[in-house]
Amino acid sequence: MSVAPLRRRIALVAALACAIGLGAPVPSPAQGKSALNLAMIGEPPTLDVQSTPADLVCIIMQHVYETLYTFDAKSNLVPMLAEGLPKVSADGKVYSIALRKGVKLHSGRDLDAEDVVASLKRWMEVSPRGKSVNAQVESLSAKGPLAVEIALKNAYAPLLAQLAMPSGMAAIMAKESLAQPLKEFIGTGPYRFKERRPDQYVLLTRFDGYSARTETPIGYGGKRTATMEELRFVPVPNANTRVEGALAGQFHYADLLPIEALGRLEKATGKVVPLLTPSFGFPYLVFNTKEGSMAQQAVRKAAQTALGPGEMLAAGFGDTRSFIAEGNHFPKGTPFYSDAGTSNYNERDARKSKAQAEQAGYKGEPVRILTSRQYDFHHNMALIMAEQLKRAGFKAELNVVEWATLLQRRADPKLWDIYITHSGLFPEPMLSPPQLGDGAPGWWTSPAKTAALAALNQEPNPAKRGPLWAKVQQVVYDEVPYIQVGKFASLSARSPALEGYTPHTYPFFWNTSLKN
Amino acid sequence: MRRFLLARLGGMAVVLSLVAVLVFILTRAAPGDPVAVLLGDQATADDIARVQKVYGLDRSLPEQFVLWLRELARGNLGDSIFLQRPVTQALWERAEPTTLLALLAVAIAALVGVPCGVVSAVFRGRLVDQVFTGFAMLGASVPSFWFGLVLMQIFAVSLGWFPVSGYGEPGASLAARLHCLVLPATVLGVLNSALILRFTRASMLDVLGEDYVRTARAKGLPETRVVLKHALRNALVPIVTVIGLTVALMIGGAVVTETVFGLPGVGNLVVSAVTRRDYPVIQGALLVVAAIYVVINVLIDLLYTVVDPRVNT
Repeated sequence: MSVAPLRRRIALVAALACAIGLGAPVPSPAQGKSALNLAMIGEPPTLDVQSTPADLVCIIMQHVYETLYTFDAKSNLVPMLAEGLPKVSADGKVYSIALRKGVKLHSGRDLDAEDVVASLKRWMEVSPRGKSVNAQVESLSAKGPLAVEIALKNAYAPLLAQLAMPSGMAAIMAKESLAQPLKEFIGTGPYRFKERRPDQYVLLTRFDGYSARTETPIGYGGKRTATMEELRFVPVPNANTRVEGALAGQFHYADLLPIEALGRLEKATGKVVPLLTPSFGFPYLVFNTKEGSMAQQAVRKAAQTALGPGEMLAAGFGDTRSFIAEGNHFPKGTPFYSDAGTSNYNERDARKSKAQAEQAGYKGEPVRILTSRQYDFHHNMALIMAEQLKRAGFKAELNVVEWATLLQRRADPKLWDIYITHSGLFPEPMLSPPQLGDGAPGWWTSPAKTAALAALNQEPNPAKRGPLWAKVQQVVYDEVPYIQVGKFASLSARSPALEGYTPHTYPFFWNTSLKN
Repeated sequence: MRRFLLARLGGMAVVLSLVAVLVFILTRAAPGDPVAVLLGDQATADDIARVQKVYGLDRSLPEQFVLWLRELARGNLGDSIFLQRPVTQALWERAEPTTLLALLAVAIAALVGVPCGVVSAVFRGRLVDQVFTGFAMLGASVPSFWFGLVLMQIFAVSLGWFPVSGYGEPGASLAARLHCLVLPATVLGVLNSALILRFTRASMLDVLGEDYVRTARAKGLPETRVVLKHALRNALVPIVTVIGLTVALMIGGAVVTETVFGLPGVGNLVVSAVTRRDYPVIQGALLVVAAIYVVINVLIDLLYTVVDPRVNT
């Protein structure tokens, strides 16, 4: 081989290496426009935030759409698109809501009461939570360009919390954009939808005509300022990759990281800031109260006695900083905290359970536990639960399926006795779990449930609702339609350069900026 | 040659028809429901039934099959339930990263595997052979996700030379997109080179024992010429097959690597479609991947005739 062709080949290889930037430092994620790269747990199933309760959809689209009300840092309801809190009639049945004047939609038009009515009507049709609200609503109408009235059949105290909840959001949209499925995403939020490239990113850009509130920002409420020009929500389904991306500085924020990564993140001082949000959510076991071995209340009680949620949480989450084993459904210091019924929590008493089961007439019928590996902690908790039940004489059988299969099978009462799931911890009891409503898998109905929930839902005075929730919690421990296993924390991470970010159940990025 | 091509195309049509039927049956035989996944935890049976109607999932399976075939005949693979776009568009958007990744990875695999296999065969039983054979064993046993995370840790996190994941920022140039593919292509290339190495070694060992090689040596030809011209040329047929199948395999989706590196490729698309039971995407993607497999196989067969003229006779 002559020297000249060899040189040419070397030059070609070198040029190719330069072209792909071999060995070149990775460019800063936010060159050109000021932008945040935000690593999310996957690709959103849809961007229609009304139609799905998926947290991921809500996290992204809460920057595009706003609600009439929202929650402050202490879970108090505060106005967002509404001018102030509504005027409620003495019997608690009529809510008069005044809208803020001059709120711009992303289309440039001013928001009016017709947009609000049309959006809420759609929400009550397509959203599972909206439907439960619809069952309470007598009428919904515009009472002027900036006034909306909601008339209820009976007093329904959770109404404002339902309208404020970020997931399955009662999002206010431009009425001309409403369609099924949605084709355009026109809201009033500080960011507008620009582009979705599935499995690559959802791109939001700053809405320069945004009409901000003037109050000091607190929680989701108050003034929202879009400092960054672009928000890029990047699906990174592999949790370890999100950790590495946060450590490498590729992402300004990485959502829901495996708790095992906490040690590494803590050691990487200066590169990344770990964020641990306690009482982020709760795992719960749903019992089939309609058919099968757990249909009888006394057998469910026996199963409750056999279970040790403390052990289950340890198996599910490992690090003791990542969970709390406590029977109160709401944390201490919140309006709905109560220890009613908690003497039945974490008993882990096999002998007592066996006696209770025998007395209830349990004859060794199989207890089919439906679970999935979609969430490792579900599966790990199921393994411990099965052993605890077996120790008490129950014939526990694990049925490990894929998440999509679990969602389908749990709708059929013939196929399971207990299934494992989890939920975020919300500020209003009626927002989760769905078993507190009607028709959710488990099919729990009882006179005690109806009476306790009616009292809670019809009490308009927030101060009196706490003790009424305690009665509901007591009924849950007595009738065991589900068992709240405890609380778990969530781990995420941010870049040290990201300023103004405060952790919330649904992370948001208005009022954040990048350090120069 | 024309008869050969016609026979291959006829076979291709039969294979794809069978694949279409199988894909539909297998997809629908699996438990799960896309609408239950779409609507989430709080959906009631009524909600699910309403949305099933929107997507035509309330019809009987034979009815759905006939509708799907009818659209297929018009070149329409249907619309994704989750992506709000046609399946063809979703596949087209993912074609670039997957194709570039496959080509880069195969180039790396061939550049590593073929020379190492040749050297290994020539120096059979010597230290260099044992080292390369050991490498091949390692390559066949190391999981790609582990190797990917190790490379990520060194070259992305510690050295900062490459991005950890993704396929460039919005509007990224081709160079920037290729930059994102270096690590995943290296993972796939190095691991797949093990297979090519083993095939090259085995094929070369067969050929090096042939009479014509001995004759070439007896004629006093330099060893490099004997090995590269006389032996390697004749050993190429199985090597070309393996390389071709590796390309097909990767275009079908380097599932794990794409997931670890967050690449928006076909593999990632199929995995998320299966998880959500996005039937149109699963069916469309599998059919297209099967078609690519068949086409690549035909191309390999054609390549045989170039590499080894005896195949044509």
